[in-house]
Amino acid sequence: MTDTRPDRSGLPKPSGPYPPTEEMLAEPVPEEVQAAQAERLRAAWATPKGFRYITAVNNTEVGKWYCMTALCFMLLAGVMALLIRAQLAVPENELISADRFNQLFTMHGSAMMFLFAVPLFEAISILILPGMLGARDMPFPRLSAFGYWCFLIGGCFVIGSIFFDAAPRAGWFMYPPLATEDEGPGSDIWLLGLSFIEVASIAAAVELIVGSLKCRPPGMRVNIMPLYAWYVMVVGGMILFAFPPLIAGDFLFELERSFDWPFFDPERGGDPMLWQHLFWIFGHPEVYIIFLPSIAIAAMIIPTVARRPIVGYSWIVLSAVGTGFLSFGLWVHHMFTTGLPSISLGFFSAASEAVVIPTGVQIFAFLATLMVGRVKMTLPMLWIAGALAIFTMGGLTGVMLALAPFDFQAHDTYFVVAHLHYTLFGGMVFPVIAGVYYFFPFIQKKKLSERLGRWAFWLIFCGFNLTFLPMHLTGLWGMPRRIYTYPTGLGWDGLNLISSVGAFIIAAGFAIFVWDLIRPKHRQPQIARNPWEGGTLEWTHDVPEEAWGVRSIPHVTSRYPLWDEPKMLERIDAGRYYLPDAEEGRRETLVTSVIDAEPIQVQRVTGPGWITHMAAGFTGGAFIFPTFHWYPPAIICAGLAICCIIYWLWTSTARPPEAPSKDAGLGLTLPTYASGPASVGWWAMWITMLGDATAFSSLIFGFFFYWTAQADFPPEGAMHAEAWLVGLAALGLALSWALTVGARELNRRWLVSAARLCLVLAPLAAAGGAAALVLSVFELQPSSHVYPAVLCALTVWITVHAGAGVIMQLYCLAGSIFGKMTPRYDADIWNVSLFWHFQVLAALVTCAVMGLAPGVL
Amino acid sequence: MTDPKESPQKEELEEFAEERASLLKITMGPLIWAAHFVICYGLVAVTCAKGWDIAFVRTGLLVFSLGSLAAIGFVGWNSWRQWNPWETGDYVNRMGRAEDRHHFLGHAAFLLSVIAFLGVVFVTLPLVMLEGCL
Repeated sequence: MTDTRPDRSGLPKPSGPYPPTEEMLAEPVPEEVQAAQAERLRAAWATPKGFRYITAVNNTEVGKWYCMTALCFMLLAGVMALLIRAQLAVPENELISADRFNQLFTMHGSAMMFLFAVPLFEAISILILPGMLGARDMPFPRLSAFGYWCFLIGGCFVIGSIFFDAAPRAGWFMYPPLATEDEGPGSDIWLLGLSFIEVASIAAAVELIVGSLKCRPPGMRVNIMPLYAWYVMVVGGMILFAFPPLIAGDFLFELERSFDWPFFDPERGGDPMLWQHLFWIFGHPEVYIIFLPSIAIAAMIIPTVARRPIVGYSWIVLSAVGTGFLSFGLWVHHMFTTGLPSISLGFFSAASEAVVIPTGVQIFAFLATLMVGRVKMTLPMLWIAGALAIFTMGGLTGVMLALAPFDFQAHDTYFVVAHLHYTLFGGMVFPVIAGVYYFFPFIQKKKLSERLGRWAFWLIFCGFNLTFLPMHLTGLWGMPRRIYTYPTGLGWDGLNLISSVGAFIIAAGFAIFVWDLIRPKHRQPQIARNPWEGGTLEWTHDVPEEAWGVRSIPHVTSRYPLWDEPKMLERIDAGRYYLPDAEEGRRETLVTSVIDAEPIQVQRVTGPGWITHMAAGFTGGAFIFPTFHWYPPAIICAGLAICCIIYWLWTSTARPPEAPSKDAGLGLTLPTYASGPASVGWWAMWITMLGDATAFSSLIFGFFFYWTAQADFPPEGAMHAEAWLVGLAALGLALSWALTVGARELNRRWLVSAARLCLVLAPLAAAGGAAALVLSVFELQPSSHVYPAVLCALTVWITVHAGAGVIMQLYCLAGSIFGKMTPRYDADIWNVSLFWHFQVLAALVTCAVMGLAPGVL
Repeated sequence: MTDPKESPQKEELEEFAEERASLLKITMGPLIWAAHFVICYGLVAVTCAKGWDIAFVRTGLLVFSLGSLAAIGFVGWNSWRQWNPWETGDYVNRMGRAEDRHHFLGHAAFLLSVIAFLGVVFVTLPLVMLEGCL
């Protein structure tokens, strides 16, 4: 690291000694320097006070709000479950009407999945991952905050609908035609409200993937990073491939609800099965999206309680990555009874059985660690033990249900309800509560009560088994899901009563747990800094709390640095390591390379602001108004949301720095700016666009699905898109892409005027291309048949993306004119050309499908 | 240059450098599994829906499955050599040196190709056992 020549872009390279030697680390830092540095850091990272507290973007604050909001939604959904169980306690009960019951079970499932389980993963990761990585914060704090506010607004909107008797009521998977034909706004609330929340999920996935790839401490190569970070990366990747098909499905569904485009209406060529495919391509991986990060908490707790390194680190990485992949080959096991060819069912049955192998591997690795360690049966370990027991039982019934002939019998009965609750309680609820007990000292600098914790555990554990174990039998004796009451004399009465009693015992356990969580603890004495004697970096946290994340970012050389390097804590506190200071009074974190975590950049991160609230509020409006078919205010909100986001990006991201490089500590000088693949922004764009491309692929899948499923698609004598206009559209959009890439290349060669000319022409070409595409389908009647409808949907998709692309091109043009973007500081145009790589690919595929399919198919 | 072992070591050093952007390398096995799965499912679905010759497609897919297994086997063999536990004697690679990372990525890729191999075997079973679309 002695090469100080600037690279091609003119940015300086890292220079100075790396890795640090023992002598460098042993050199003491003078006391007065330490105090002054700490004071400056404290000022830079101070959490806003008073009512401005809600403008905070620090991961510790946003993470706490996120967790508490998800907990509130969980409690509401839990109350709904209690109402459901009260209604089912006795036969022919009239406590709740059938319609209200439909709303309750739909909302119970939707809220537990979309408002609790998935957001809680994001919440916990935002809260604890930076600590584990010894990072100051996530790379995009305002993005986390934006995601949180979107989640809060969307969640309140969706769950609030139940108080107005307007909640969705077609089951949490919204099957058409029941959901498409349903009167009232329920289905729209589900579709638009949850799509809005999915935006927050994808934002969190971007944040977490980039965080674990680029914000690890120096020296933390991929083979020594905490297992939690591995799981986060895998789950982030899964979100990118699982959520977009649902977003594409929501897009089609809402076009059908609002404009009567018949995607799922068989009378006009549509097919309800397409929704089932898109929903479950999302829905099954989602189960693992919930399960993996929760079991990741177990992977952090178990080595601590066993007081030894985890056994089979590589094996656990294998099982996380392997499960991530295999979980995408299981979705049809939710559709075994839809009449697909048996050989197709065979593939999914086989893959569903195969996923047991990696899942089992990690559980055996945990057991092996416990066996060879000296286990201290702490409260978190008690919950983990409960989790392993319950999850194993859920897994075994899963093996049964993965066999198609058994599933034919058990499908849509209470057997499935029992199975899914065993997997979700064992795979998610118990490990997460274990995590709450384990990480509470890290989060709140207080401890939870041992006694209350044991009470809560035994109540929830016993209540859970009392509720759900009999349900296997209820299901095998034929009781279907989702019926609001049942006649007596079928043998179901006693079992249902037991289940209902059990449900209230679970509720009692949760009441104790929540009380323990929120009861005032200011009289509690100060806790030990590392109360469980863990070995990973989050236990270097400051007690009492400091907002800076970590005093100085350590150089890490092993998996459990606190166990292996006894001097590390003292050196962190002394500011001996990297970035011990905030000389300019700005928030900064260290960016490192992907595989070996070599320090490459000092990254400025954003601070508190109201702009995230405004952006989230207007984005909310753009999603919520269409629920009531109020399109003008929705369009105004969308416009304002775009303005807010542009303002946010313009004022606080990728600004040219005051100095091209700065001292990062230990003699290392690092650049303060990066563009292209070296920058975190480029990675964020790449990851976002990967998700976007998945959604687009789902639409193309839809087109070919209709072709497969129907004898005449496109139908005889149908009108097609105007071929020459489609060709013109392809030309215009490709030209716009070429001009964007040209602008990037010209700009970095200091040909600024030529680059600006390209950026003037590129939006014109894009607008022309999009206009040609719209004109090519202008004569079609999308509500008449699914063929014109799908062509129009593709056109809408490409046109909206072209609009976003034009805004980005103009943003770069403005940046070039007003000095935000220069030949040296050109991150914006790199990110925009990356967007256009994806856009041109999508446009060419669309034009090929629209222009060539009529002749070929 | 008297030590014959020196040049392979040099090659390895070069490989460390090449590895920088190769986190995706460990997913090679599962990616082959995914491609195999999608092609089997997609082709069989179209064949059954459009009434193509299922016997012919089935034979083709069985040959394709063997090819996929061979490809995963190759990935597995390569990554076994990268892990190299017999020569290094280190099965765990828990320290933060460059060669630990190198061997670890080999180990992870090897284990993932084992799971991908089993996955392909599982998904091929219906092709072996079921003859037609019904």
